[in-house]
Amino acid sequence: MSSRRARSRQSTSSSRITDEQINDLVSKLQAVLPEARLHGCLSMQVSAAKVLQETCNYIRSLHREVDDLSERLSELLATTEASSAQAAIIRSLLK
Amino acid sequence: MLSRTHFIYISACVAAFSPSCLLSFSVAAMQVTEAFKHAFLKQMLLGFQASAVSTNSMGIQERKNAIKLSADVAMAVFRGSRKWTRGLIAGLSEKQQNRSFLQLILGEQYERRLMKPCYSSWKIPRCRTIVRRSLRVCCRRQKKKKNQSGVLARTLVEKRTQQLKRLVPGGESMDGLSLLDETLDYVLSLRAQVDLMQSLLTTVESSKLRSHSKRTLTERKASYVGK
Repeated sequence: MSSRRARSRQSTSSSRITDEQINDLVSKLQAVLPEARLHGCLSMQVSAAKVLQETCNYIRSLHREVDDLSERLSELLATTEASSAQAAIIRSLLK
Repeated sequence: MLSRTHFIYISACVAAFSPSCLLSFSVAAMQVTEAFKHAFLKQMLLGFQASAVSTNSMGIQERKNAIKLSADVAMAVFRGSRKWTRGLIAGLSEKQQNRSFLQLILGEQYERRLMKPCYSSWKIPRCRTIVRRSLRVCCRRQKKKKNQSGVLARTLVEKRTQQLKRLVPGGESMDGLSLLDETLDYVLSLRAQVDLMQSLLTTVESSKLRSHSKRTLTERKASYVGK
């Protein structure tokens, strides 16, 4: 989020476009977050700080999920034969 | 280890099933499109092969890291050239043990990347004291006009932006608008990655159960015949 000071230094026309773009992206980001449904689409003026915080939390939770899934896959593949593991992957490719 | 015939088979499947229309990575409603799914799983398979994930000699942690690496590279390769994908690859290359794997998977693309200067490690120099001081000065100048909550909100946004920059790969060298854009793209890619890994896990689990039940059935039959 560029500070208002920096934006005011630019010409007013370009800063208006930038503001619009920023608001657009922030609302898109909000729509992607899992709690978007909880806050409801009624709240139009969700603070940017809140959206950023939720995004940080969401990214962290996604990282944890990837980590967890990798571990589970690792445990599964440890006791699976090479050929059947690859057959399973090919099967999910075909689904 | 996959034989050459396996690889040809996979490529044929991907070619047969991928849609003829252009792939659309729709931001508004990201669904796991078929082409993305095939490309991602194909990359993961290549990754598994490259790091010999299917051999039993690997420890669980080692295999887990190899799987995670394959998944991350698959995600970055599919998404193409974006600031965060370049940041991700650069971050992975920092570890010596990943380099040969990246070399294998990315081929000449990787060497070209190494030749370019590494922008992801360039951080925008930002001293917190300077930022705070300048905010205070700004506040003093427009003391009557500004309300306290405005200043607080801006500091909070600043703080959160710093956190986000640390989370998104290559984020340190991004600013404002591009950071938001890259974050959106990154979050959608991560979600797709999680979905695909989940479905892969389910498939492997179910195929294991099937083969296990088949084996017990055969064993039971054999023991019955023996009697």
